[in-house]
Amino acid sequence: MSKPKHKKIFGLMAEYDTAKAIFKACEKVRDAGYEKWDSYTPFPVHNLDKAMGLKPSILGVIVFCCGMTGAASAMLLQWWTSTVDYPVIIAAKPYFSYQAFIPVTFELGILLSAFGAVFGMLGLNKLPQWYHSLFNSERFSRVTDDRFFICIETNDPKFDFERTRKLLEGTGAVHIEEIED
Amino acid sequence: MAAFKDELDPISGRKVLVENNLTFAQVTDAVAAPIEAPSARWWAFFLVSVSMLGVLVVSLGWLFWEGVGIWGLNNPVAWGWAIVNFVFWVGIGHAGTLISAVLFLFRQKWRTSINRASEAMTIFAVICALLFPTVHAGRPWVLYWTLPLPNQMGMWPNFRSPLLWDVFAVSTYFTVSLLFWYVGLIPDLATMRDRAKSTVRRVAYGAFALGWRGSTRHWLHYEKAYLILAGIATPLVLSVHTIVSFDFAVSQLPGWHTTIFPPYFVAGAIFSGFGMVLTLLVPLRKWFRLEALITIKHLENMAKIILVTGMMVGYAYGMEFFIAWYSGNPYEQYAFANRAFGDYWWAYWTMVSCNVISPQLFWFKAVRRSPLALFIISIFVNIGMWFERFVITVTSLHHDFLPSSWDYYSPTIWDVSTLIGSFGLFFTLFCLFVRFLPVIALAEVKSVMPIADPHYGDHGDGHHHE
Amino acid sequence: MGSHGAIEPSKDQIWLKEGSLWRKLPLIGGVLGLAGLAGAFSQMGADKQHFWYSYLTALAVFLCFALGGLFFTIIQHVTRAGWSIVVRRLAENAMITLPVLCVLALPVVFMGSHELYEWTHAEVVANDPMLSAKKGYLDEGFWTIRMIAYFVIWSFLAIRFYSLSTSQDDAAPDAAISKAHSMRWLSAPAVLLFALSMTFFAFDAMMSLDPHWFSTMFGVYYFVGIAVSAHAFLALVSALLRRSGYLNGVVTAEHDHDLGKMMFGFTVFYSYIAFSQYFLIWYANIPEETRWFAYRIEGDFLYLTALLAIGRFPLPFFYLLPRAIKRSSGALILMASWILIMEVIDMFWVVQPVLAHHHAKESGAAMAIHVGAVDFLCLLGVGGIFLAAFGWALGRKAMIPVKDPRIAESLAHENF
Repeated sequence: MSKPKHKKIFGLMAEYDTAKAIFKACEKVRDAGYEKWDSYTPFPVHNLDKAMGLKPSILGVIVFCCGMTGAASAMLLQWWTSTVDYPVIIAAKPYFSYQAFIPVTFELGILLSAFGAVFGMLGLNKLPQWYHSLFNSERFSRVTDDRFFICIETNDPKFDFERTRKLLEGTGAVHIEEIED
Repeated sequence: MAAFKDELDPISGRKVLVENNLTFAQVTDAVAAPIEAPSARWWAFFLVSVSMLGVLVVSLGWLFWEGVGIWGLNNPVAWGWAIVNFVFWVGIGHAGTLISAVLFLFRQKWRTSINRASEAMTIFAVICALLFPTVHAGRPWVLYWTLPLPNQMGMWPNFRSPLLWDVFAVSTYFTVSLLFWYVGLIPDLATMRDRAKSTVRRVAYGAFALGWRGSTRHWLHYEKAYLILAGIATPLVLSVHTIVSFDFAVSQLPGWHTTIFPPYFVAGAIFSGFGMVLTLLVPLRKWFRLEALITIKHLENMAKIILVTGMMVGYAYGMEFFIAWYSGNPYEQYAFANRAFGDYWWAYWTMVSCNVISPQLFWFKAVRRSPLALFIISIFVNIGMWFERFVITVTSLHHDFLPSSWDYYSPTIWDVSTLIGSFGLFFTLFCLFVRFLPVIALAEVKSVMPIADPHYGDHGDGHHHE
Repeated sequence: MGSHGAIEPSKDQIWLKEGSLWRKLPLIGGVLGLAGLAGAFSQMGADKQHFWYSYLTALAVFLCFALGGLFFTIIQHVTRAGWSIVVRRLAENAMITLPVLCVLALPVVFMGSHELYEWTHAEVVANDPMLSAKKGYLDEGFWTIRMIAYFVIWSFLAIRFYSLSTSQDDAAPDAAISKAHSMRWLSAPAVLLFALSMTFFAFDAMMSLDPHWFSTMFGVYYFVGIAVSAHAFLALVSALLRRSGYLNGVVTAEHDHDLGKMMFGFTVFYSYIAFSQYFLIWYANIPEETRWFAYRIEGDFLYLTALLAIGRFPLPFFYLLPRAIKRSSGALILMASWILIMEVIDMFWVVQPVLAHHHAKESGAAMAIHVGAVDFLCLLGVGGIFLAAFGWALGRKAMIPVKDPRIAESLAHENF
């Protein structure tokens, strides 16, 4: 760090006004080798995760496991209650009417898959996180409207106030700002 | 054809989804502005809806006090308006999930301006639906007995009963729809949070926005979750109305027990749901000035879906009739002859004209593109679908196998008031939704605009075609 | 995404080369087909009934594949789909085999009906009140007219869509657009005609094999088989063509992904329809209805039912779930072939039990599956002719509709 600051700085933020600009900017930042950084957009920009070099999400695996657990639990529940604990002859159907048990099995599989998807996603995103340093910036409030942002954190190993700023200036940013912690 | 010349997207050559070359900021403003400045018209609708809701409260209060006898149920028609209303409302909910999930899987980008409102409609419709099985039980205070909870009686629910499958199916449907809707709302709640002028609004929106900041790392998992939810919701929506159809089809009653019920019910549900979506959105887009986002092409696409699903329902009617004759079974044959020419012939022909005949008008482009025609036909669609459930339920019950058991069923004033009251509940919830939440999925609409493409303008004009 | 300055696929990617094995497909298919048919017909003397049942099974299978081509084509037009245009010509080539297959089906209509359908026997009907009640519909003359009507409708639709699409290849840009509009305009009534003709064909040819039984879902059941086979067929053929050096860069992993998704989706839909039909009949337990399934869980047929239950649902479902599998043409070749084989077994399962029931009643033994040379010969015969006609169409024109207004969108297609 070439210029020590009095306030602790979270990172350097650059603002862009088009999807194209942020796409190209992300590619540059990724190619420059930064790791602790992120881009912020009002909507998911097509292939921006690839432009950032991010790995695909593992959410699918989480959901699959949850779904299988749900379906298995439902079948187990129905089997146990209908054949072991409380066997009642209903309409001459066998105690283990696996055909009749399919609807509930299916639904519970779906329910747990959905929980896996939603809570898995929130977990992977570490949400809720009501405070973030970027909210200290007035301009950043446009991230949910029509502006795009990149923020490179100061604790990235490659971070340097001058060099990082120069890199960002070269990407076509309309504004660059230091974000307080 | 010249009268219907559509604005074409310069990249894909297809009809543009957002008209008037709006910017992202203009889209945000168009959707957020009505929330920030409610109108007198909103108050008028809200007050009418709340009064109807009041009717519901009174009807249910009297029902709990006096018992189910206040309704018109008799022997053999032990299932009357309550189940008709239940199936009616659950069916309406299905369109929202179809728009959110199925159209998403089919990459139909036009869904983005209508999915928020229709998903909300789904949730409110399912709430109205859940009302009926809850209150129609003789002792609604022990309704929790339908859940598999260990108890002092040593009993478990009957997993071989379709009514129990309904408990699981509809509650799963409600939960998943709510989750799906909420997940879609998170980025838009963040938008409302960032625009909020008062602290109360900022905190309220902010709490539910979970601190969303539009991070691409978050969008990555978010989009995956959205895709997975869409993939899950699709079989869910099929299964829910299938299980509802099982309520009837697993029986041995002529007119109820027929193998085509599952897809027939699902098609009918989508049909009625889209009808309700049109009923809600045609006025909404006009009063909130959202015609550039919910374009006439969006309405036309919905009309086409209504036409297709209406024809599927018509196909099922035809199959039922033909096979009833083909079976040679006199009870089956009587059941269908009775529907068309018996005591409830008026209900049957209402159903046929509303469900099969009125949507045929949608073969004509001029009708598909007229908001007034769309609104009127959508009302007929829902009337027709209510009557379909009525015809199925009542005609098969009132004249079943043994003539000495036959009886005529009439609703009482409390049946009618409960139905009207359920509309009150639905519209009250919808009014509240429209007042506080963005009716269009902002982030999604923005993502399908041409300027959202990072490669916009890279390749010049492209082909202009349709 | 988007149509930029057009990606023009090179001619050698979209036209079969002279001397290629694919160009010999009409000859190979024709020889195998004629040999198969001749062999099968020669078996007629041994067991006439068995021959006709096998022949009907083979027809049901290949009509399913050909109708799949028709279904795929008209659905893509009705929905204004863009992704599928690069594979639509392959579906059209499958579809144009319909007139030929309909000709092959005529012997069933004019020669085989007495061996197949007990309601064609007047004395059986006279002694059976249930069959007498259906005389108005299950009447040989009316039945013959209906079958011819289905063949005429299918041939008309196939020829119309095929000729509009192939003539578009050589048309001027404006004419090409107008042909595309014609196909779109025609596709909506075509869907209606398709749905009704296919449903009643299923009733007339297959459901009436057991004329006491009935199911409103039966037409839908045949339809789902058609839908899932259509996408499997396209995935398989396009993958094999790519391995022969064609369509590379034209049909990509993006299209495989969509075909894989459709195979997956229709597999789920098939399971839903098949389960619903079975489940409702199982639950109500009415003997008049359960007999159909009872035949299929008796004796040998139980194993076949189990094979179908596993092979048509859990196996394709879990296999096609991962994204990477759907994007790999090699992986799709395996599952597509499996799905098509399952369709053969499914049609066998639908058609043959009545015959097995007759044999079982006569011999007093349990229901047994009689698979003889005649079954394979019929499949070879009808299948060979199907391949011959398909190969003829494949070589005749470009393998993609080159002048379709949305071809560029399809070539540039990107998936999730």
